[in-house]
Amino acid sequence: MAEHQLEVMVNGQLVTAMVEPRLTLADFLRDRLRLTGTHLGCEHGVCGACTVLADGAAIRSCLVFAVQMQGVAVATVEGLTPDGGGLSDVQEAFRAEHGLQCGFCTPGFVVSVTAFLAEHPDPSTDQIRDGLSGNLCRCTGYQGIVRAVQATVRARQEARHD
Amino acid sequence: MTEQGATAGRYVGARVQRLEDPRLLAGRGRYIDDHIVPGMLHAAFVRSPVARGALARVDVATAQAMPGVAAVFTMDDFRDIFLPTFSTIAGRDAVTPPLRPLADGDVRFTGDPIVIVVAESRYLAEDAVEAVDVDLDPLEPVLDSETGLTAGILVHPETGSNLAAQISSPADDEQAFADAAHVVTETITQHRYVAVPMEGRGLVASWEPGRDELTIWAATQAPHEMRSYCARMLGLPEHRVRVVMGDVGGGFGQKMFVTREEMAVVLASYRLGRPVRWIEDRAENLLAGGHARQEQATISMATDHDGHLLAARVHHLENVGAYSVPGTGSVGGGVAAFFPGPYRLPMLSFANQAVYTNTCGRCAYRGPWLFETVAREQMMDIVARAIGMDPLSLRRANVITDDDLPYTSATGVPYERISPAKTLEQAAELIGYDSFRREQEAARAEGRYLGVGLSLYVEPIQTRGLLGSEGAILRVDPTGEITLIMGTASHGQSVETTMAQVVADVLGCDPSSIVFIQGDTAVAPWGPGTGGSKSAVIAAGAAQLAAERMREKMLQVAGHVLEVAPSDLELSGGSAHVRGDPEARLSFGQLAEAAYLNPAALPADIEPGLLVSARSAAPPLVLANACHACTVEVDVHTGLVKILRYVVSEDCGPMINPMVVEGQIAGGVAQGIGGVLLEHMVYDADGNPLTTTFMDYLLPTACEVPDVEYGHVVTPANTPGGFKGVGEGGAIGSPPAVLNAVADALASLGARITGTPLGPAQVLAALAAARTTSR
Amino acid sequence: MKAAPFEYHAPETPDEALGLLAQFGDEAKVLAGGQSLVPVLALRMARFEHLVDLNRIPALRYVQVDNDVTRVGAMTRHAAIGGSAEIRSRVPLLAEATPHIGHFQIRNRGTIGGSLSHADPGAEYPAVALALDAEIVLASARGTRTVPAAEFFTGTFTTVAEPDEVLTEARFTGRPQGCAVLELARRHGDFALAGVACAVELNSAGRIQSLRIALFGVASTPVRATAAEQAARGAAAGELDPEEVGRAALAGVSCVSDLHADAGYRERVAAHLAGQAIRQALQEARNG
Repeated sequence: MAEHQLEVMVNGQLVTAMVEPRLTLADFLRDRLRLTGTHLGCEHGVCGACTVLADGAAIRSCLVFAVQMQGVAVATVEGLTPDGGGLSDVQEAFRAEHGLQCGFCTPGFVVSVTAFLAEHPDPSTDQIRDGLSGNLCRCTGYQGIVRAVQATVRARQEARHD
Repeated sequence: MTEQGATAGRYVGARVQRLEDPRLLAGRGRYIDDHIVPGMLHAAFVRSPVARGALARVDVATAQAMPGVAAVFTMDDFRDIFLPTFSTIAGRDAVTPPLRPLADGDVRFTGDPIVIVVAESRYLAEDAVEAVDVDLDPLEPVLDSETGLTAGILVHPETGSNLAAQISSPADDEQAFADAAHVVTETITQHRYVAVPMEGRGLVASWEPGRDELTIWAATQAPHEMRSYCARMLGLPEHRVRVVMGDVGGGFGQKMFVTREEMAVVLASYRLGRPVRWIEDRAENLLAGGHARQEQATISMATDHDGHLLAARVHHLENVGAYSVPGTGSVGGGVAAFFPGPYRLPMLSFANQAVYTNTCGRCAYRGPWLFETVAREQMMDIVARAIGMDPLSLRRANVITDDDLPYTSATGVPYERISPAKTLEQAAELIGYDSFRREQEAARAEGRYLGVGLSLYVEPIQTRGLLGSEGAILRVDPTGEITLIMGTASHGQSVETTMAQVVADVLGCDPSSIVFIQGDTAVAPWGPGTGGSKSAVIAAGAAQLAAERMREKMLQVAGHVLEVAPSDLELSGGSAHVRGDPEARLSFGQLAEAAYLNPAALPADIEPGLLVSARSAAPPLVLANACHACTVEVDVHTGLVKILRYVVSEDCGPMINPMVVEGQIAGGVAQGIGGVLLEHMVYDADGNPLTTTFMDYLLPTACEVPDVEYGHVVTPANTPGGFKGVGEGGAIGSPPAVLNAVADALASLGARITGTPLGPAQVLAALAAARTTSR
Repeated sequence: MKAAPFEYHAPETPDEALGLLAQFGDEAKVLAGGQSLVPVLALRMARFEHLVDLNRIPALRYVQVDNDVTRVGAMTRHAAIGGSAEIRSRVPLLAEATPHIGHFQIRNRGTIGGSLSHADPGAEYPAVALALDAEIVLASARGTRTVPAAEFFTGTFTTVAEPDEVLTEARFTGRPQGCAVLELARRHGDFALAGVACAVELNSAGRIQSLRIALFGVASTPVRATAAEQAARGAAAGELDPEEVGRAALAGVSCVSDLHADAGYRERVAAHLAGQAIRQALQEARNG
């Protein structure tokens, strides 16, 4: 099957590649660009471990083909991690609140939460749980993850008041 | 071994943030699917579409000719190199079905791997899988334990029977039952549900002829087990096989033992002399990764007038599938041993049958024997309601108290250092049991149905035999940096952090200064893998011992350099200094320099370098215990269950890191809640699994799991530090807590709940049955 | 879980897309949001020689109001529909249904055209279209036709659309005074085991001018409870027994049994939900 030329921004860098149409965005990021922070937990769009941002919107990268991302700006968990070491405030909160154990689902949560809070800066606990329901975790029982989101919201509110 | 007792210092006992987190949060974990071995090929399997059948013909010619295909192997291609063997951890006598990595002449469950295709990419391998032509004559399967025992259909013809194992352990209880004021009999069922780690199985196996070395990078929870197993399987000396474990995305038991697909991948690499990689996808994981939990028991309990337990009879039936994994061929022994649980039960008659069926084989899943708690705790509530006692009162009447200890159970298990009565009271208080009963009554008047469920259990931490020992190597390098090397295989249990806490307290340094290496059999001391709730017991013991030996060595060297007695020295802040004189100090860097770089200047009785090793040994049995309490509201129109509150009063002894303990419990509770209310591995009448995607196998999300509220009781174990284990407890106590709460909510309507599955349809069916019976 | 190979086409206009479908016939499949199609391809439950991606056709992405008619382009994403002020004010049932669809990550890609075309019996938008008597526009190289929602859904995952047709637009007329969407699922965001989309209009005397009830998740297509609707017509809003109407709504409906629920369960729960939805819609109509 014919390959297609793809030009896509990934974490702020322009990437050009020839891709087979059936290559998913997730596999493109992982295997071609070696951005292995985006994980495959189900490959059928339920678990959310593969979540990335496409033009700022959280999407399941296992459900789009790389070739569809022509001209799109994609951000992965690596791109959400500050350069030169350190963690984003969302990542710090996950650490402080024990929001991860095996870590496999974690990048998907970090990306989803980052996008969620951009849309909902002041969510109720119910809204937080609702916003998290598109990502599956098997280790934490979600308790630490909910706390991490709440802690991020609080910290951002305090920063705004300063 | 040092004296037992809590060694809480600056770090042990504290909620230290995890050392694993920065890399995992940044997406820089190294899971097996992230690992590249140059030249590696990719595997995919052709699997049986039927539950049972004769393999008439397998035609691989078309597949072999497809682009990018390196090889297509059947069992014929492995026959001359495959040596069936046993699991080191489970032992030679473990119940094991006839073993073959690929189907051989017949298929025995839907999903049975028949052919392994090896190609340049997974995409191409899957294309070639579709081109393999398999000629199968389907045969009638057996799918459940009862049919498995009576139908004339053999799952494994070579065994001559579908009975994988059985136990017959009667007690002399005729008189007790005859004299009893009450005898209550019920059949409790537990449905099939599965572990579902977020990362499936996976490995890259690389046999290098010429070097005669087999290296396996794997998503495993027991690298040394995999090493010895694969070595025996190929007839290789153990030390020519290396297993390396990176970050692993959960296991819950599914990655403890070597499974058939993994054997096939290793054999394929051996055959080809090239690295072969297999990353299990989710459909495979649900289909063939190992199932669990499908058991039932008919139980009779005899009590006196006041509800004191006199005797119990249990007939336990397990469906272990076709290729059950070593160690879980039968859990009857564990169920029998712990059925009495935390109660004074004078007599137990136990009979068990483990039955092969044409379904996916059973693997270890977080508390594999937990049916004893699930069944017993439901039975306690059923007995309580039958004899007109509150379930809390019945438990109070029977629970083992401090005064009873030490206590030997009816099954010969010695109980000591446990606190079930304390946790029962703490859980009851935290959930507000008495005021909840009032709330429940008021709600009933409004047509709302609330319920409370308790679950009390004793958990054995598996430390008998070779599970009772863990090793640690502690190394301070010439620049003074500390490396801890262990044979653990932590995959979410935070062992990297908790062991650093233990070492940091002894060496007086910061835990984050310690680099932790685990899971590489080339460098790590032998370990029994991570699972079975034993990390805090044996791993902490080894780390503690090694740290104490290192401390002694460091003080020796420092004493020599500073010209003081070692007993005048302390370790703190990453240096050795004279007690009371902080200026007289040596940093670890200076210490190490002295130890390594000028050995001639050391006295004869001080060995150069700073390298120690230690091995812990645990008592043969360590027991933890907990009580779960759960309140629910049941919508009698829809059958949906909403969990209102969830409380766990746990006693895992002193805690190395309370944050880690609570996280382990919360995760286990979520699996129990999911297991009861949502997760169901379903087969149709022909043996086709219907729940092989996440659309159909329903995992709980953040909307379905409540926050767990914790109470802690502390009863130290007879181990260094006194730590007990906690990994499995959450999953053990939770199913009956939820089940009992639902049963309690519906009891006033006459509905009877006797196990799982317990989806909304089953709740409505129980209510409908109650209405029919009451007419 | 990797899809079988296919040729990929990314037309930039509707005509280009229609030309490709005419050329490839049933060897081609339209790719909209991909949230339902891509899993099917990954599981190799279906395969197509050609995928025609509609995501690069800006002309299919719009919400336009022409007098009484709200026209929604097929490639308008669920997230955009949920966030659209026009939809909220003019087709509130559509806005109310949107948060029930999956999770926000799904809604960022899923489209109304895809949802209607895929015709999952448990989906929300098909029921809303049916409840509101929406019109569905199908285009092909042979021309364009408009199909009433009542005729569009013919079976599980089946519509009247031909292989060379593309759903280009959904049209909603009128604005009911009261509406409600209720559903029951095993988990938040799952396809409904039983769901109801309900719209009510009262006349100046406070009597029911129209009560429209569309059930979803219970049968092989969404279903209008026409008999129950007719019986309710003319009744005083305050005198109606919503639970009774809800039960009547299930009369004659062939509920399906599957892995997640049997027919009896669906019927029972749908009747209960219908009663609640009617009650809620009536309340809103009487208040507004």
